[in-house]
Amino acid sequence: MKIELGFKKIKEVIVLLEKVANKHQTLPVLSCILFDVVKNGVILRATNLDIGVEIFVPAKSDVIGTFAVPAKTLSLFISQTQDQNQSVVIEFISGNLHIKTNKSKGVIKTVPVEDFPSIPKLKDCQEYQISPEDFTQGLTAVFYSASISNVKPELSSVYIYKDNENLTFVATDSFRLSEKKIKTPTTNKLNDILIPFKNIPDIIRVLGYLTSSMKVCANKNLISFENNGIYIVSRIIDGVFPDYRQIIPKSFTTEVVALKQDILNALKISNIFSDKFNQVHMKIEPRTKLLEIQTKNSDIGENQTHIDAALTGEAMEINFNYKYLIDGFQSINTDSVTLQFNGLNKPVVIKPVSGEQNFLYLVMPMNR
Amino acid sequence: MNDHSKMWQTALIEIESAVSQANFSTWFKDIRILREDEGTIYLGVPNSFTHEWLQKKFHSSILRILRQMNEHVRALEYVIVREDGKSGQNTRKEQSQAPTIAMPLQDFYINKEDNLNPRYTFESLVVGPFNELAHAASQMVVKSPGQVYNPLFIYGQTGRGKTHIIQAVGNEIKKLHPDKKIFYLTSERFGSELFSAIQEGKVQAFKDKYRKYDVIIMDDIQFFANKEKFQEELFHFFNTFYDTARQLVFSGDKHPNTIPGLEDRLRGRFSMGMIVDIPEPDQESRVMIVRSKCRPHKITLSDEVVECIATSINDNIREIEGIINIIACQIQLKNKELNLNEIRNILKNNLKPKKMVSVKDVVKIVSEFYNIDEESIYNKTRRKEVVRPRQVVMYILREDFGISFPSIGEKLGGRDHTTVIHSYEKMREEIKTNQLLSQEITQVRTML
Repeated sequence: MKIELGFKKIKEVIVLLEKVANKHQTLPVLSCILFDVVKNGVILRATNLDIGVEIFVPAKSDVIGTFAVPAKTLSLFISQTQDQNQSVVIEFISGNLHIKTNKSKGVIKTVPVEDFPSIPKLKDCQEYQISPEDFTQGLTAVFYSASISNVKPELSSVYIYKDNENLTFVATDSFRLSEKKIKTPTTNKLNDILIPFKNIPDIIRVLGYLTSSMKVCANKNLISFENNGIYIVSRIIDGVFPDYRQIIPKSFTTEVVALKQDILNALKISNIFSDKFNQVHMKIEPRTKLLEIQTKNSDIGENQTHIDAALTGEAMEINFNYKYLIDGFQSINTDSVTLQFNGLNKPVVIKPVSGEQNFLYLVMPMNR
Repeated sequence: MNDHSKMWQTALIEIESAVSQANFSTWFKDIRILREDEGTIYLGVPNSFTHEWLQKKFHSSILRILRQMNEHVRALEYVIVREDGKSGQNTRKEQSQAPTIAMPLQDFYINKEDNLNPRYTFESLVVGPFNELAHAASQMVVKSPGQVYNPLFIYGQTGRGKTHIIQAVGNEIKKLHPDKKIFYLTSERFGSELFSAIQEGKVQAFKDKYRKYDVIIMDDIQFFANKEKFQEELFHFFNTFYDTARQLVFSGDKHPNTIPGLEDRLRGRFSMGMIVDIPEPDQESRVMIVRSKCRPHKITLSDEVVECIATSINDNIREIEGIINIIACQIQLKNKELNLNEIRNILKNNLKPKKMVSVKDVVKIVSEFYNIDEESIYNKTRRKEVVRPRQVVMYILREDFGISFPSIGEKLGGRDHTTVIHSYEKMREEIKTNQLLSQEITQVRTML
């Protein structure tokens, strides 16, 4: 069996699939990439039983067949091969894989393919079209807020639902929450979806290779994305996400409008002196136009930073975990932000100023 | 169930010898037999990947092995079961961030189809002498919805677990009778939906929406007091449901006969079924409640402390929950157990004053606080230094102890109730602006 492929393309695909085919403890074939040679190309597959990816690469081939190659070895070999040559020849001879480029040649031992599981294809599912960039943008804006603990699967997920003409992405670990709305022309009805957050980086990576509009399918257990010979399927959580909208305050008693960069700088300084709980103290005095961020650590020292800001409402002092505050700013791309408070023990709502009001970040304060 | 797990254990031994070790531990570890139904065995599998692969690769071998053990087995089906969260992992990392207050998300897990919160179940309900009647009645309803006790009406003051019981009825019916369509709503929501349906001229759609359910659970019925249009609609609903033997469950803060402005015909309908009261929880039940509320926080309080909390809060379970939350938080912050004194302090700072104080005590404390003669409060004198304390007394008696205006007047030297109302209103307004006064009242309150 002999196939000839474009070097650049195969390199990209192998590096991408290698991230999915991670070391599996019990079934060694799962750390392999499966080559399924078909008539005018090869379908490469990798799965970790939580997510599965299939990519079709056009190729010249003589006979059809399958073989599995350890992903790590293959990816290291091919990414180190600095070859400007246009094509690579792969040959499967008695259990070994021979890779030949212009300058280098490698032989890699393969693994028996019988145990490589099939990647599920969705039957009876809802189908709709969406732009991969939009979907990626939604996931990227919120997934860091998901809970890292496994106790509540629905909180370790990104929650996606359709509401009017927006596709809304939400994640929370119950200490902070992020919500991103993406305008989408899809008119199809879409059931709520919970994608496990640990699958999100892989999905984002694969979606990066998709162009224009992709086909999304979802049933109770799986979601798949498909376009242009690339297919990715992920497990989804069959559960209920809490009705988080009830947490989001409708009004506020104190409001701060400031430059995002100013707040970020102040938070970065305060990190130097924060204690083991990452506590920062925020002091807001609208009457004297004072916004100050303070941290203190009895072992290291302390600091105060003034921030120029427009302040309205009641004076207050409140504490936050600095990590939680800083996380949300990565998803805001306007220059200024508003912070809306509702007094002690109540969450702060952070939003971009001007532009589309499509992102919201909520942080619970610390308890002292 | 036990038979099934035994059967599967035996099957596993066979399977293990038939497949490779790698395959066995990858695919068969988390599988169990869910149920058997007319020769079909339903296997619970953790995800679609396992489902596909078992079906493709091992279907016939599993079926053969199972058939060897039980000849009635004809077919094999796979069901993907939701994996429950695995606890224990990563908990340490979350604890280091513990001082951030958590959102009360557990209150908002609402199933969109039936609007029920799955958290409210009979398993999580503390049953004591105070609510055993309500519990028993609702169990009857769960067994045969629409047949006995229709409607079921549960009433009691706020924070006694009415919502918990009626939602548990819904969740339990869902479990036992999966074909029944259930819907939970507050009467307020019913009202506002009806209102907008009337405005948009879609009353029929509104009626159809609710009439398709088999069980309707409506919370806080007292909202309908003095709302004739809503009551009329509810009345028609009632008849439709009752005639077709579909279950209605209501809750309210009062007995239907004492809800003001409720039409007689509606009252009559309520009494057709079963009306149960949830009275104040007794001491024994309160102790149980305190202990059960501690469990989710993973804190254990000494018997002494539990007793102390149970004695201090006597009518509102929600208040108990609040106090436990505060205590759990403090324990986490201080990283040590709290002693009885600290608990007492928390209780003192976070509870409304008890109703046991007599009028005389209030007068005594207030007059001591303002350093005047106790007698002068009762007298007719209008000296300025007496008028203010007297008004404070009236205000506290009304605000904190809910004593009626006429009886306050009578107890304070036979004054007219209009005088008391005037003083009360005046104080209420003044507190908002006068810092000093509001501080004084707070201080008096702590002394009570």
